[in-house]
Amino acid sequence: MLELLPTVLAQLASIEVFLAIIAGTLFGSLIGALPGMGTVVALIVALPFTFSMTSTAAIALLLAIYCSSVYGGSISAILINTPGTPQSAATVLDGFPMAQQGKADLALGWATVASVFGGLFSLVVLVVAAPSLAAVGLHFGQIETFALIVFALTCIAWVSRGSTIKGLLAGAMGLFLAMVGPDVMTGFSRFHFGVFELQGGFHLISVLVGLFALSEVFIRAAIPEDTDAKPLTNVGFRVAPWSEWKSRIRCLLQSSVIGSFIGVLPGTGATAATFISYAEAKRSSKRSDEFGKGEPEGIIASEAANNAVTGGALVPTLALGIPGDGGTAVMLGVLLIHGVIPGVQLLTVQPEILLGAFVTLFIANILLFFVGMLGAQAFTRLLRLPESLLMTGVLLMSLVGAFAVRGNPVDVIVAVVAGIVGALLRLVGIPMAPMVIGMALGGTFEESLRQGLMLTDGSFIGFLQQPIALGIMILTVLVIAWPVLGPQLKPPGKPRTG
Amino acid sequence: MRIPASVVMGLVTGIAVAAAPAQADYPERTINVMIPFSAGGGTDVPGRLFAQEMEKILGANIVVSNVQGAGGTIGATQLSKAKPDGYNLGFMPVGTTTTQPHIRKTAYNDKSWEPICLVSQSAQYVFVPEDSPYKTIQELAEGAKTETVITGGPPPGSLHHLGQLAVAKSLGVEFKYIPHQGINQVAKSMLGGRVHMTTFFADAAERFNFRPLAVLASERSSNFPDVPTLAEVGEPAVSVVWFGFFAPAGVPDEVAGKLSSACGEAVAKPSFVEAMAKVKRPIHYLSRDEFAAFFAEQYQQNGELLREAGLVK
Repeated sequence: MLELLPTVLAQLASIEVFLAIIAGTLFGSLIGALPGMGTVVALIVALPFTFSMTSTAAIALLLAIYCSSVYGGSISAILINTPGTPQSAATVLDGFPMAQQGKADLALGWATVASVFGGLFSLVVLVVAAPSLAAVGLHFGQIETFALIVFALTCIAWVSRGSTIKGLLAGAMGLFLAMVGPDVMTGFSRFHFGVFELQGGFHLISVLVGLFALSEVFIRAAIPEDTDAKPLTNVGFRVAPWSEWKSRIRCLLQSSVIGSFIGVLPGTGATAATFISYAEAKRSSKRSDEFGKGEPEGIIASEAANNAVTGGALVPTLALGIPGDGGTAVMLGVLLIHGVIPGVQLLTVQPEILLGAFVTLFIANILLFFVGMLGAQAFTRLLRLPESLLMTGVLLMSLVGAFAVRGNPVDVIVAVVAGIVGALLRLVGIPMAPMVIGMALGGTFEESLRQGLMLTDGSFIGFLQQPIALGIMILTVLVIAWPVLGPQLKPPGKPRTG
Repeated sequence: MRIPASVVMGLVTGIAVAAAPAQADYPERTINVMIPFSAGGGTDVPGRLFAQEMEKILGANIVVSNVQGAGGTIGATQLSKAKPDGYNLGFMPVGTTTTQPHIRKTAYNDKSWEPICLVSQSAQYVFVPEDSPYKTIQELAEGAKTETVITGGPPPGSLHHLGQLAVAKSLGVEFKYIPHQGINQVAKSMLGGRVHMTTFFADAAERFNFRPLAVLASERSSNFPDVPTLAEVGEPAVSVVWFGFFAPAGVPDEVAGKLSSACGEAVAKPSFVEAMAKVKRPIHYLSRDEFAAFFAEQYQQNGELLREAGLVK
């Protein structure tokens, strides 16, 4: 395939393609940073423009938007305690505390470098191993997926600071929210309280916007803070010195591997990847106690993983024609419109498309660094606005975002209610992150369990007869037992990481 | 203050005069075309291509909006309640308009629409994975008599589900149906060997290397001339998925007429024909009257099919 590289580079070396990549990266970061407007909204807004573009430019634009929007979410997560996208929900945990300590510039630096690294890492994975990894993804069936989701749910324990009970409670609420709406197994809707508009269920974005962004707005409106206690002194963008990075390289690599791998499995999703990565990092880190208080490793774990998902999710999309997440699903449609049929034959029939996509992703990821550097200046300037103005803006963008996801007005009401609930939960100290985990994983959790039970004729033992699933379940048990068993073992060896 | 009758009369005529050319000059502002599924999806792709042509022909801006959820019924409900002035239109598939109203208690039914035209129609095919032991539809029928054949598709009541019920009935066998969220998940299960058979459109052959065993149409397709219809091996079974262009009922007749002739023009445009060929969607045009009759028939037929399958009480 590499012998095509000169041809592909020649194709890409046009003003149109280059502008598409730059515009895509800027636009994606911006939309990603706005609370409520994530990857999918950014892609949908750009969709009509791609009709009149050449296929190369269209694909370049969308790929650039795809990977930069995931990064953009971290900016608002760090600066205003509101993840711009669900994928950045774990970034809030350490990003915002760090900003509160007056180190917003450093936090953005950590997030940007981790994002770029994660993105490039997964790109390498995509280039080197797409076909073979796609095959692995296929063998990850319902039962294996179920085991993986159970493992991911243990993350709730790791991200609930303070009270584990409150964390589990929030996780259970999240799982229940995911059950409202369509029941895939019967084709009917349930738990919609007789409200027709709720038959489509709650959308993760509208709930997320409520829980994080709107609850923040409500709380600040209800309990005005001391205006002179604005801690965000250090604005801008600063990358920590190498000595700081050196001891965190392991975390960076580990998170990129987790992100790429979970990205490859269609349907598991970037949100799950970031939380698994975060929990893993916390568990295996020497600085475990610092997590949640503004530890850079927490930001690295989340941001390297969520950007690594982008390359990973493209593996099944391009190699099999099966989209790995919501963003790649939109892209698949655009590829089809441009006469590119993703799937098993892409590599043989149109290898130049694939190679072009790789080069585009490479450029976009490099550009991210500069966008981050310049964007941070602009964004932190926004924070100097009077709080009333800033919060009004957040409120407006959040509601528009909640509506834009799928055009259902009921999502706006859902967001407002979630905002009120979120504000109350914050006051009683129930963490939000577990709720997001529960809701993000709930649908797949239920579907994989029920499909798996159909495949094994209702036998749970059948689940344990699948070697991969059994392995993951054993790992899950070990992870749960670790806090009890770990200290008993001598010498206190480090757990192996997956 | 008394308002002279002449002023009132003047106002009324003024409004009437203002309203009349509004129809003659249709369209004079942006038209909203609602697609009840996500952007880039199976309904969205032909819908957007179609909207693009209509925009050129009508000379008005067309904005495509995707309103997703609950089998397309959220979007369809919105559209059915929209003002029938010709500026709110929808591009909707067979399932949303003819099966979902039977399955769910939707606020709309067959009387809620003014069908404008049929744009595309695809037959479903019986597909097995490339490495499947079943090489022909007869082998599949034989196999299903002695072993469990697991099939997959979107949630019960979907067109794929109904298609597979029709195949089972035609061959006199039973399949074990595993519902999936959508057709992409089914493809994954098939490629991973957990599902043995599904019904899909022709493009699955190229996208996933699936092997077509039979076509659920009344005659063989030019895409796969060697693939038999089910009528050749068992009871006839036909299951097509179509996409049509709708306005809410009550739209002025002239507006519907204008849209209908624009539609006829759009589907014949070389650019549209080429674009649809690229995405492997067969164009199948029915004019306003033909489509209205076809729609009424489909609505009733699918209702019966669902009742037979026990999906509607």
